[in-house]
Amino acid sequence: MIGQWLAGLVRRRSGRLVAAAVGALVAVALLASIGSFLGASRATMTQRAIARVAVDWQVQVSPGTAPGAVAAAIAARPGSGAIVPVAFAKLPALTATTPTADGGSTVQTTGSAQVLGLPEDYRATFPGQLRTLAGADGGVLVAQQTAANLHISVGDTVTLAMPGRPGVPLRVDGVVELPQADTLFQTVGAPAGAQPTAPPDNVVLLPAAVWHETFDPLAADRGDLLSTQLHVDRTATYPADPAAAYAAESGAARNTEAQLAGGGMVGDNLAATLDAAREDALYAQVLFLFLGLPGSVLAGLLTAAVAAAGAERRAREQALLRTRGATHRQALALAVGEALVVGIAGSAAGVGVAALLGRLLFGSAAFGATPTTAVLWGVLAAILGLGVAMATVVVPAERAWRAGRVVAAGALLPSARRPMWVRWGLDLVALVIAATIVWTTSRVGYALVLAPEGVATISVDYWAFLGPALLWIGGGLLAWRLTDLLLRRGRRLLTTGLRPLAGPLAPTVAAGLTRSRRLVTRGAVVLALSVAFAVSTGIFHATYSQQALVDARLTNGADVTVTEPPGAGVTADAAERLAGVPGVRHVEPIQHRFAYVGTDLQDLYGVRPGTVTAGAALQDSWFTGGSAQQLMDTLAHTADGVLVSAETVTDYQLHVGDPLVLRVRSSSQGTPATATFHFVGVVNEFPTAPRDSFLVANADYVASVTRDASVGYFLVDTGGHDADAVAERLAPVAGADATVTPLSTAVATIGSSLTAVDLSGLTVLELGFSVVLGAAAGGLVLVLGMTERRRTFAVVRALGATRRQMAAFVVGESVLVTVVGLVFGAVLGGVLARVLISVLTGVFDPPPSGVAVPWSFLLWLAVAIVASAGIGSALVLARAMTAPVATLREG
Amino acid sequence: MTGERVLVDCDDVGRVYGSGSTTVVAVSGVSCQVLAGDRIAVVGRSGSGKSTLVHLMGGLETPSAGRVSWPALRMRRGRPDDVGVVFQGLSLLPALDVTENVALPLVLSGVSQEEATERAMVALAAVRLTAQARAVPEELSGGQSQRAAIARVLAAAPALVLADEPTGQLDHETARTVLDALLQTVDRIGAALVVSTHDPMIAERLQVQWEMRDGQLRAPAQTGAAGGRQ
Repeated sequence: MIGQWLAGLVRRRSGRLVAAAVGALVAVALLASIGSFLGASRATMTQRAIARVAVDWQVQVSPGTAPGAVAAAIAARPGSGAIVPVAFAKLPALTATTPTADGGSTVQTTGSAQVLGLPEDYRATFPGQLRTLAGADGGVLVAQQTAANLHISVGDTVTLAMPGRPGVPLRVDGVVELPQADTLFQTVGAPAGAQPTAPPDNVVLLPAAVWHETFDPLAADRGDLLSTQLHVDRTATYPADPAAAYAAESGAARNTEAQLAGGGMVGDNLAATLDAAREDALYAQVLFLFLGLPGSVLAGLLTAAVAAAGAERRAREQALLRTRGATHRQALALAVGEALVVGIAGSAAGVGVAALLGRLLFGSAAFGATPTTAVLWGVLAAILGLGVAMATVVVPAERAWRAGRVVAAGALLPSARRPMWVRWGLDLVALVIAATIVWTTSRVGYALVLAPEGVATISVDYWAFLGPALLWIGGGLLAWRLTDLLLRRGRRLLTTGLRPLAGPLAPTVAAGLTRSRRLVTRGAVVLALSVAFAVSTGIFHATYSQQALVDARLTNGADVTVTEPPGAGVTADAAERLAGVPGVRHVEPIQHRFAYVGTDLQDLYGVRPGTVTAGAALQDSWFTGGSAQQLMDTLAHTADGVLVSAETVTDYQLHVGDPLVLRVRSSSQGTPATATFHFVGVVNEFPTAPRDSFLVANADYVASVTRDASVGYFLVDTGGHDADAVAERLAPVAGADATVTPLSTAVATIGSSLTAVDLSGLTVLELGFSVVLGAAAGGLVLVLGMTERRRTFAVVRALGATRRQMAAFVVGESVLVTVVGLVFGAVLGGVLARVLISVLTGVFDPPPSGVAVPWSFLLWLAVAIVASAGIGSALVLARAMTAPVATLREG
Repeated sequence: MTGERVLVDCDDVGRVYGSGSTTVVAVSGVSCQVLAGDRIAVVGRSGSGKSTLVHLMGGLETPSAGRVSWPALRMRRGRPDDVGVVFQGLSLLPALDVTENVALPLVLSGVSQEEATERAMVALAAVRLTAQARAVPEELSGGQSQRAAIARVLAAAPALVLADEPTGQLDHETARTVLDALLQTVDRIGAALVVSTHDPMIAERLQVQWEMRDGQLRAPAQTGAAGGRQ
């Protein structure tokens, strides 16, 4: 019997089955795609984290322990690769003598210094540890800041001040940057809070042989100044999930420490990076829940709306079955059979579509995830598809059976009594609670994802999900209430609005819409929710992309940055030369100095306040107490003004207007120049500046204080176009010593936050699905809603209505549903986007000044929905015009 | 008979549904005329083609063969504009109230909303449904629904009224009441009436009975004065 019934359904009700299966397909494909993508993203985060680490382990060899023995013990552990010994020596100072313009010379002396001894193969084994800025890759190398402090460059002499012994002069072969100086000079074994606040300012790197020749004689009486680390490259295979990889890695490090039995302590740089990655992974999971889940739920709702559109026919079929003697169990079995057909077909097609999307967008049916992950998500999504089918087919069938009567068309009319949720105002209650939760959870300092450094457990405050969830529910119900109100009370308004379309029929069409408001409202609300999903997703992703670019610009400084070597003496006049390169729109010179605030050495940037806001694309969110332009105006009016970081304001209890005495270093003065600045505002971010503490002041004032107008780097604005090509053209103009870096370099290298993860795939997926959902809601639900009233249209046609008059009925409803859906959806989507950005502030780095609205996407979305509704209306109209009698005969 | 007004002229009309093995011949080779003032019952078993014939007469269906014409009726966009139809079963629009339902054909034919409503109220009074004027179809009984459908015909005052099984879903007593209303209506507006029915009680009250059998029109069983011709 079930077979016959299903065969009949497939033959006679294929449209109903296909429509419901398409709804399940969208839900399954969305969940499977985003789930697989999430799995792949987590694996990518792990891989990226591992790739970012220059040296996986820094094992501090305990005094008195032979490094060779420790190295042998580590080599015996599984997952250990190359092990390279690095010697450390602490010195009281470095000195250098440099000639002056008047034929004399000056002697520069630094504070304490670190001298490292590196074996020949060190750079080959750990290529990320050193970057050559000038001179040779090997020999005696000095760090960039050390070269600046001593005013030396390649070919000059640096003297190591040896305690109790004569100084050791060495010729400098190269100037290098130490990208991971913080970890290189960490105190191994010290807790996070006890680590040095900054790496040493003065660093010299020697070949191991030179180091030993120089420092071995010190071992006997000043062994306390010398130490040895073993730098280890790990070759272990880690789980794809960052949290699991962190657990495995930190466990391996602790285990090795135990095996060393006090012979050494492991500085686990790899675990520290994975520690940060697992927080990013959790944010990715949160993103999935905030952005992916609503889409899947919406697809389920769409399927339910599709199934509900066949309620009348289903009820008639149930009644017929009952009159033919079918039992409740048999009727239920038939409904389950139908649900299985819909669910299996929809799920299979959905998983297939997801695999196809994966192959098209990511070159892999599994979206780059492991087969296990992809299969897991496929199975989960298929279960969801079956669940959706059961809920949308079996539940209405069961309800119809229990009702025990044929549902007449009139039963689709709204009942006089308003639903309980309307009378109780549940929509408004939900919105108020949502607003309260969002306000609570988005306050400054709130952490959605809590991942304490070094602690194995990480957590998400799922309470924060309640705000957007209630906003979805409250917004949807409010849209229902308002649409219902418009249809119930706004008949005159509707008539006026419909008159251009329906002419003399407008009052009749309006009356029909008013009394069909349950169907009309259902269509409008499903469309509104679909639009809200698309709008919120679109705005979120646009803002996300905007901030990713801002992050990259912060790191690189501009579309292209030309960095001058220390002591190069290039002045702002060179900007004109660079500006002449094709593709360059503007060149902004920035002075770069170092200044002591008390004993704290900070970066000092000298800027031209009149041009830097636009020239360096400064964002308002980078400043506190005013916009970027306002603070630059303040700086322009205060010649000795200085902007300082919030941390410095707190540390030194500064108030606006307070004098601030700085000792500023320059390349033309041996000793720091002392000058008084005045604190005028707070700066949090600045192109190329470090994240902790730095200073921004007027370039003219900095030049006059230091008697040095040389520029540290030039920020080149290309208008966002062809940065790579412009960088290539700039290189010969800037000179061989200058370093030219396009924005793409920064995009490829930054990796400290989620914005570094390329989520363009997720964007394409979500925006694509949101358009599909919107178009489906605009067309499918509308068409099926009208199909439910095919008898109504058939009667109107049989009564002599012309095509134009029929169009008034069909298009009138279509226009109403589309306009209401678009308006409510746009408003709800806009609010949701703001809430998501507010709650997920931690995802953005730096926080956005405002939301980015993807106008072109929204336009295409509107076009897709209107086109879908238009095509649907045309189909309904064509059907109503051609076969009214056949429809009437169906009973 | 040559001076009588011919409202509908069916000339060797046929209507076929489907194709190939699923072909159903609903009407075949029917030639007949409906004249002004006729009272005709088209009788026959279920599936004999009587409803199809009525629909063909109203221009609601297009013949597969032969020709249907309406010599004495106004035409609008290829369809007779002077025909009122009472359908089998529920034919009121559930989203409109009774008055709006009755006024709808008038509005569709270009009558102003106000005038259409006035005429609808008069028609409803004629079928004793004034009390239900603002009710929606869901609130009416089966008999009331059909009387409202008859009022819809009455309001438009067509020259020809076609009723397809108008009492098919009603009990005997209600059917009688509905038929009374229908006959009074056509008398009032002077229209011709063609009713398809399988109910002998309905058929007996009309002057002429045309019998449909397997899609073909058999000899009329005349019961009263003149009524159409074959």
